Amino acid sequence: MACSSRAMLRLFLTLLLTCAGWLTATLLASGQSASRKETVAPTTREAGLAAWQQVYSVLTHPRCINCHTATDYPQQGDDRHRHLFNVVRGPGGKGVPALNCATCHQGANADSTGVPGAENWQLAPLSMRWQDVNDKILSSADICKSLTERSKNDNMDGTALLKHHQTEPLVHWAFAPGRGRDGTARSLPPLTHDQLVAATRTWVEAGMPCPQNP
Amino acid sequence: METYKLTVNGQQKEVTADPSTPLLWVLREDLKMTGTKYGCGIAACGACTVHVAGIATRSCVVPVSLIGDRPVVTIEGIGQDPVGRAVQDAWVAEDVVQCGYCQSGQIMSAVALLKKTPKPTVTNIEQSLGGNICRCGTYVRIREAIQTASQQLK
Repeated sequence: MACSSRAMLRLFLTLLLTCAGWLTATLLASGQSASRKETVAPTTREAGLAAWQQVYSVLTHPRCINCHTATDYPQQGDDRHRHLFNVVRGPGGKGVPALNCATCHQGANADSTGVPGAENWQLAPLSMRWQDVNDKILSSADICKSLTERSKNDNMDGTALLKHHQTEPLVHWAFAPGRGRDGTARSLPPLTHDQLVAATRTWVEAGMPCPQNP
Repeated sequence: METYKLTVNGQQKEVTADPSTPLLWVLREDLKMTGTKYGCGIAACGACTVHVAGIATRSCVVPVSLIGDRPVVTIEGIGQDPVGRAVQDAWVAEDVVQCGYCQSGQIMSAVALLKKTPKPTVTNIEQSLGGNICRCGTYVRIREAIQTASQQLK
């Protein structure tokens, strides 16, 4: 009788441990599944709009907007003054013969002479102007709208826009703009390049939402 | 200091210079080619214009380290080119030069313009040479000489 009771107790304990193990395994699996769901959850519109505002803060920095002008000439400096030396846009955004961008701007910064440089130095096309003809920076809504219109943005979809921010040498230059003639380092956009790419990715994953003009 | 192999006016040259040295000083001081002038040192006047891979380039702001294997043509070599020869002939015919200091840069820019735009309008000339300054004010004669050269190159 005593042996039978001990056998029953052993069976009960075995069943109890088995159930506990199964329960733990199930709970762990469920936790991992929930965590996995969090990482693949679609980026919300709100998150996308917040990311866009970060992107906008970079696009409207002088390092970027000085070549995204609405004018027939580039701009220079943090005060965005007209480019010196009678430089003009030219038909392809690279100046005119004998006064091309490449007349001074080489493939890399020339810190000894203060001339910035990167591969294929040029103005952005007028369809990608981020200011009006009175030199006023366009609103977040307006720049977002033109950036997402493929008829204006060189037919780039979200993936291509992200790649543009990741790889374009002129975008990279904005984050390593070198020194001016007086040896002073040029000011930098408010985000790092990595942060710009991350914000662009979030915005693209959210479906490239744009704010509305007030 | 670094050693650079440059092709200047079709000839191989070797110079040893600090990488940050502007091409202008390599031409003038190391290669003793003084036809290219120092004017402002900040790319503002155009007196130092040479051609680098066919592009009019302000040699006072381009470090020698960024030239690479691109051929350089200076005022000493531009007469070997048919367009360059025509421009120099027109410069003489129109008696363009007054003091002459800016003229090598003016000629190099004029040649670069005519190579891309053989029949330039007045606007083309003014835009392309708008960055070449002449303190003697020979602008009218420069424009006429470019038009003369353009006609000779028909």
